[in-house]
Amino acid sequence: MAMADLDIHEPGDLAEAFCLLRAPDGAARPMGGGTALMLMMKAQLFKPSALVSLAKVDPRFHGVELSADGASFSIGAMTTFAELEHHADLCARLPVIAQTMVTLANPRVRNVATIGGNLAHADPHLDLPPVWASLDAEVSVIGPQGERRFPVIELFAGYYETTLQPGELIMRLHAPVQQGWRRRYVKVTTRSAHDWPAIGIAIGLKMQGARCEDLRLILSAATDRPTRLVAAEAVVRGQAITDDLLAAAGKAAASEVHIETDSRGSSDYKAHLLSVHLKRALHDLCE
Amino acid sequence: MSTHRLIRFTLNGVPSKAMVSSQDTLIDLLQNQFDLKGARESCSQGLCGCCTVYLNDKAISACLSLAWFADGAEIRTIEGLAQGETLDPVQQAFIDAGAFQCGFCTSGFIMMTKKLLEENPHPTEEEIRHYLVGNLCRCSAYPEIIDAVKALSRRAG
Repeated sequence: MAMADLDIHEPGDLAEAFCLLRAPDGAARPMGGGTALMLMMKAQLFKPSALVSLAKVDPRFHGVELSADGASFSIGAMTTFAELEHHADLCARLPVIAQTMVTLANPRVRNVATIGGNLAHADPHLDLPPVWASLDAEVSVIGPQGERRFPVIELFAGYYETTLQPGELIMRLHAPVQQGWRRRYVKVTTRSAHDWPAIGIAIGLKMQGARCEDLRLILSAATDRPTRLVAAEAVVRGQAITDDLLAAAGKAAASEVHIETDSRGSSDYKAHLLSVHLKRALHDLCE
Repeated sequence: MSTHRLIRFTLNGVPSKAMVSSQDTLIDLLQNQFDLKGARESCSQGLCGCCTVYLNDKAISACLSLAWFADGAEIRTIEGLAQGETLDPVQQAFIDAGAFQCGFCTSGFIMMTKKLLEENPHPTEEEIRHYLVGNLCRCSAYPEIIDAVKALSRRAG
């Protein structure tokens, strides 16, 4: 599995990176850890003319910081999965991240893959993007025209497609630390435990006694991008949690999105998985 | 920009250099230029663990790593674990437990086990299985591999 010929650049500042990424053939590709890119390049699915490493472009692409008021984490796009997995403060305040990490690939991949590269890859089967979306996380991106910040869920435009403009790079991720939310990522695999998910559901739930005050439900792997289950959320929000209510939420979820068939399950099967696992996870989180 | 360059790195403690192309993986570099065959490409997707090496003291899949970026790095392979004629304790434990048949995957399992025990000297069986999830043994020597890791853990006191 030889790769096509390519140039490799390691620019030392953003101006140089933007210049290199403006290659006339449009096939220069920014690179974080490169794990997903290497797979696509080795399979010759993707043949960039050049790779532009983001390792040294700007210190703002690195580091994990908790804001002074403790309200949110700011995570550099070049942070590796392993760095987050072993970040004691982040794991204590956002345990769902550590819970998700252990289901994700293996320690070698987690030593190399980056938070920003994972988002930019925009494969709907990835585990972390729906979790970030369920946290109401935002991304800061920087490009030749300047910087902008928006909700991470707005980053995804479909299979391997993002809303990033030409030359724009994901620089940081901002994840709020909300008090009183219970969180879980449900990864449903149908072939082996460490396979890609047939469906993924990222859940955030805030209870007030027996009543659901607020919630976030994000579906992945079954749709062409991480998708918020608005109808299912509406069924549950403000209500006292009962088995009937959760069954209705599962049903609403399965009928509100277009579910894709793939090698891990048919559309109908995945819809069934969604209704069952959503109900089960919400039930467990309420206890 | 040229698609070849000279990189300098430390290989099993020895300062080294090599001319690499932009398409060379670390596995290509180790096998073709240094005759190190312990890490081997098998699945080519980072799933099987046969190509495990340490890059700057972190376990990585060498088949998914471009040699180009190893400039300035410290690389350690299975060939660099023994101290002279004395095997690394993890290597010896695998022999003692009979934790392999054909041996193709063994270097990767040993490299990962060493990292597991560095991070967590007394893993539970579940933690062992979980850490080694990205290492496949087609002879299915898994019970003996887990025995080897447990024996090392017991010895760690």
